[in-house]
Amino acid sequence: MLLKNLFGCLMLALALNATAAEFEVGQKDKQFSVSHLKVKLGDTVNFVNYDPFFHNVFSLSDAKTFDLGSYPQGQGRKITFNNPGTVEVECAIHSQMKLVIEVEK
Amino acid sequence: MRGALKTLLWFIALGPVLPALAAEPDQPGPEEAFKDVRGYIVFKTHCVLCHGIHADGNGRAAKNYNPRPANLRLSDKSDRYKEMIIRNGGGAMGRSPFMPPWGQELTDEQIRDVVYYLSVINVNSKAAPKRGSLSQ
Repeated sequence: MLLKNLFGCLMLALALNATAAEFEVGQKDKQFSVSHLKVKLGDTVNFVNYDPFFHNVFSLSDAKTFDLGSYPQGQGRKITFNNPGTVEVECAIHSQMKLVIEVEK
Repeated sequence: MRGALKTLLWFIALGPVLPALAAEPDQPGPEEAFKDVRGYIVFKTHCVLCHGIHADGNGRAAKNYNPRPANLRLSDKSDRYKEMIIRNGGGAMGRSPFMPPWGQELTDEQIRDVVYYLSVINVNSKAAPKRGSLSQ
């Protein structure tokens, strides 16, 4: 019985993983490459820095609170969205940078 | 000819005043004037998110961090230390990695100004606002 449940969980995890998508959002010229993005539950967004200086991507939204820390050109940091809702994403170093991510069920 | 005469008259009129101005010991130069105001503008633009408008560590993002952002009014760190942590970030100083490195974003003058502003608002401050600043 335990083995069966474990197998079921494993299959579910694999199925979810198979349907989850990964998006890339660049940071270039002190702007996000898109200003609005729609993702589904479980999707991941990779924030890649293409500027020759640091960015620090974060969000204080209820649907997802995170801080990816400061990272230089050529590096990316990933975040997975597990709750539905609107996530307002900013850069702690460049306050003019704004991005809205809609996380759909 | 008339212009030259006018200039000469100005020099004569200002003659007694100019040396007095030059000898004024507290008169700030253009570099020093409004240094705390410039520093406050830098602080308000870049630092309040975490450190809060009162520099007490209670910015709108503060609740997400452990350790919490520093209360800069109570800081016992030197100006040199503050300059380094602003320039290089918290991670480089063995402090919170969430303090970004500002060295590529702020000019040397902006960093000096904000460090000066922090010294003015510090409870242990010996720094007094310079003459010519708005905070007198």
